[in-house]
Amino acid sequence: MLCACSGEQFKFEEAPQSPDSLATRDFSASGLSSRTGDWESKFDETQVEDVESTLKEALSLNYEEARALLGRLEYQRGNFDASLQVFEGIDIRALIPRMIRAIAERTKQRKPRSKTDNVLLNVMSMHSVSLLLEAILLKSKSLEELGRYTEAAKECRIIVDTVESALPSGMPEGIGEDCKLQEMFHKALELLPNLWIKAGFLDEAVTAYRRALVKPWNLEPQRLACVQKDLATTLLYGGVEVNLPSQLKVKGLTTPMSGTEEAILLLLILSGKMALQEIDWDPEIMDHLTFSLSITGMFESLADNVEKILPGVYDRAERWYFLALCYSAAGHHEVALNLLRKACGSSEAKHRPHFPSFLFGAKLCSLHPNHTHEGIKFSQEVIDLSKNKNEHFLGHGKKFLGICHGAAARISVLDSERIVFQRESLNFLNDAAALTGNNDPEVLFSLGLENAIQRNLNAAYDSIMMYSDMMAGSSKRGWQLLTLIVSAQQRFKDAETIVDFALDEVGSVDQLELLRLKAVLQITQQQPKQAIETYRILLAVIEAKKEHWLEDKTFRHQALAEQKLEMEAWQDLATIYADLSSFLDAKACVDKAQLIEFFSPRSWHITGLLFEAQSLHKEAFVSFTVSLSIEPDYIPSIISTAKLLLELGKQSLPIARSFLMNALRLEPTNHDAWFNLGLVSKMEGSLQQAADCFQAAYELKLSAPVQKFE
Amino acid sequence: MSGDEASVRAIDSLSAIVPSLARTTPSTLLTNPEIYSQISTLLRNPNSGAGDNNLCRWLYDTFQSGVADLQLLVLRFLPVIGGVYLSRVADRKPQAGFEAVLLALYAHETTSRGGQPLSVTIPDLTSPSIYHDAKGAPNKSGTPEVAVVSPALEPHGTVRSTRRARIVGVALELFYAKIWQMPVASKIEFCKFCRTWAGQDGEMYRKTEGGEKEVEGRVPLPWELLQPVIRILGHCLLGPNNRDVELFDAASEACRCLFARTMHDVNPKAILPIRSLMTLSNNLMDKTQLDPTELPFTDVISL
Repeated sequence: MLCACSGEQFKFEEAPQSPDSLATRDFSASGLSSRTGDWESKFDETQVEDVESTLKEALSLNYEEARALLGRLEYQRGNFDASLQVFEGIDIRALIPRMIRAIAERTKQRKPRSKTDNVLLNVMSMHSVSLLLEAILLKSKSLEELGRYTEAAKECRIIVDTVESALPSGMPEGIGEDCKLQEMFHKALELLPNLWIKAGFLDEAVTAYRRALVKPWNLEPQRLACVQKDLATTLLYGGVEVNLPSQLKVKGLTTPMSGTEEAILLLLILSGKMALQEIDWDPEIMDHLTFSLSITGMFESLADNVEKILPGVYDRAERWYFLALCYSAAGHHEVALNLLRKACGSSEAKHRPHFPSFLFGAKLCSLHPNHTHEGIKFSQEVIDLSKNKNEHFLGHGKKFLGICHGAAARISVLDSERIVFQRESLNFLNDAAALTGNNDPEVLFSLGLENAIQRNLNAAYDSIMMYSDMMAGSSKRGWQLLTLIVSAQQRFKDAETIVDFALDEVGSVDQLELLRLKAVLQITQQQPKQAIETYRILLAVIEAKKEHWLEDKTFRHQALAEQKLEMEAWQDLATIYADLSSFLDAKACVDKAQLIEFFSPRSWHITGLLFEAQSLHKEAFVSFTVSLSIEPDYIPSIISTAKLLLELGKQSLPIARSFLMNALRLEPTNHDAWFNLGLVSKMEGSLQQAADCFQAAYELKLSAPVQKFE
Repeated sequence: MSGDEASVRAIDSLSAIVPSLARTTPSTLLTNPEIYSQISTLLRNPNSGAGDNNLCRWLYDTFQSGVADLQLLVLRFLPVIGGVYLSRVADRKPQAGFEAVLLALYAHETTSRGGQPLSVTIPDLTSPSIYHDAKGAPNKSGTPEVAVVSPALEPHGTVRSTRRARIVGVALELFYAKIWQMPVASKIEFCKFCRTWAGQDGEMYRKTEGGEKEVEGRVPLPWELLQPVIRILGHCLLGPNNRDVELFDAASEACRCLFARTMHDVNPKAILPIRSLMTLSNNLMDKTQLDPTELPFTDVISL
């Protein structure tokens, strides 16, 4: 009986499942004889018709099974053509309905029931089913070996379709112990998407992956995770959008709206499993997660996930650097800096210094003036470390050192210290420029800014021109600084031309600051009417934007900046009207400004000026005091207070002097303060000192920009 | 006009500009590799971007025809156009031709997005999904958090220098959206241009020590340009095409150079994804070149 295509022994690896199926017979030649006795006894026990039908089915099944076994043999030998031929002899289409019924019936039988064994005479045994499924799987693999991927995928899909129709709600537990059905099915689930990818049909592959994941098929956790990871990478890098079919969009379950969202969901699930140690640590999952969350800008989520990684996976400095990158990218610079301090600190002193942490620390400190001294330390380390290995970064170290020195100069209390810092800052920045061959735009910008603050206007102009060229005019801050430098050179017309040019080049988002700059230039050129017009335009633009950014949380930072600009515009208008002596208009503008922010030192300062202009000195004093109580270092109010004191006579001169000296300590280049100091000295009788002060005031005014440089 | 008529017109006008392509038929318009290489070469000519350039005019008209296949054809040349354009910006050459094509692509995206930003909802693992059951108490925070991938587009009639990066970036986003239909040659070109834009030599990150050299042609790379570039590079390195050896090598080279550049600029937003891409692509390379008899390379001595 049918062992005979090659006369060899066909052994089964597993025990036959149901004793009445003739298909489970042992086909060995020796086995045949031993069974004949049983065979005859079967005939005695059951009805003839049943046996006939069983035999017919059994015979046809056995034919298919024999081909299956032969094909398997050929496949194992590597004769893919031959095995394919054998497999093609099996008429799968006809057998599928029976297979489906068999699987459905046999798995239902898992519930404990008695006396139902013999009902399943016309149903295939699980063993035959799994044998046939194996045949289809091997056929598919043979096609794969022969390079016919699309056909292979279609064959493989038959397996998945069959089992899914039979078990629509997933595979029940415990089915795997008795037959190879589950194993074959799992292999098919894993093979199918790979075949589709090889065939070039990404959308089919994605569908196949989803089928494997959406229902519970008893895959082992590691294998399930593997499939999830493959789906995530296909969605993330494949470049094809495959929409979720509507049957998967169930209410109450979060459904991803795009491929990227789906990939991120899967990767988050996987990283959760790693955190709970349900699956092994796989660094690639972390890399994919980093990529996907960075690309979509979800840096806070990324930081959360990195925090969940168990200790021991990364070494400490690596982990802190990674976290610092995430937090900094999410905008939490203080947190990032804290982490970098740890990475560069004493606990890591015994290990090799982590150069990227130092570099990043130097950069963060250079961006925030309250960390200048720390920045100096970081930059010094960067320079020391670069000398050994990374000569390329030497220029960077010098650049950050220069920037930090400049910031330190501005916050230093001692004049002698300030001079040293300023000189060092320029030295380092010039060194950095030389080292990078004038190719680093950041160095050029910093050099220009530092020179401008130190009133070396020609050098500043050259640097900023080079910067602007290098950026091809695409940087708004370059335009702004250039305008301010040119205005400091007292070339107001040119400055206005530059601003107009910049306004053309800049999109509507960034125009606001430039418009204000233009208006300030017009005020300086004694063109109040044009200035008022410009402010009108500015306020209209802000008004138009208000509808947009009130709802949109993501642009809150921008919205706050625009609000601040609106307030400043009203304040500027108030000063214009005050100069034109229209006090009512000025008061109206100040009120508008105070609606936006009541506690703005500048608004109180302008109120004080208005009172002073109307000779209400007491009220003026009160306003200036309020302004100073909000911000003790607000220089215009300090100077105005000193001016008022000057008018009160000789006994208030020392107080006035101390106010002015305070202002000069904060800002040594303030020509107004020098001028008033000169007046104080003159009233006190020290004429030589007064002359020096007036000289200083004059020279500083000659190079004063219309707005502060930073 | 119908697709075929448009194709025929396109071929006619193309053959006027490039006589050697006169033999193409509408069906081969998309698949003929000759077209790609010829037009590519012409686009790199010294004055190819000028306002009166015929080829740019042809590209613009073809894209504006509205036929999907023809638009895909024009989109293939985006890497070359974008690459040559950005590299020449610093020389202040007039490039109105290129700018017209880029603006056409930008306008197409602006209309198709309808003023909405492209955003992604942050998945909340505490509520169940089709792939997992929720554990723990659900987060009743109300509105789901949304991350904006690409902000809403404002229409632009000309290329202003501060908007240049955004316009090219949006064109690259369109390229990425159709990347599955782009030929491999187009992607290889893209990788080569990435290398030029980075302006750094990535040698020192290729597992061996080496000096860092400056490469000509570096270009300012703000995030609006870098973000689509990194996505396209991810596809080239790890997508289904990466079996193509030439593409994989070009993409790895581009990745290294961009990594060197982001480390140079110390830009954390860019360092994170590119670092991951480098690790993933190095893993892939190791898998294919694994020699089990090699001693493991490490420069850390553990005691």
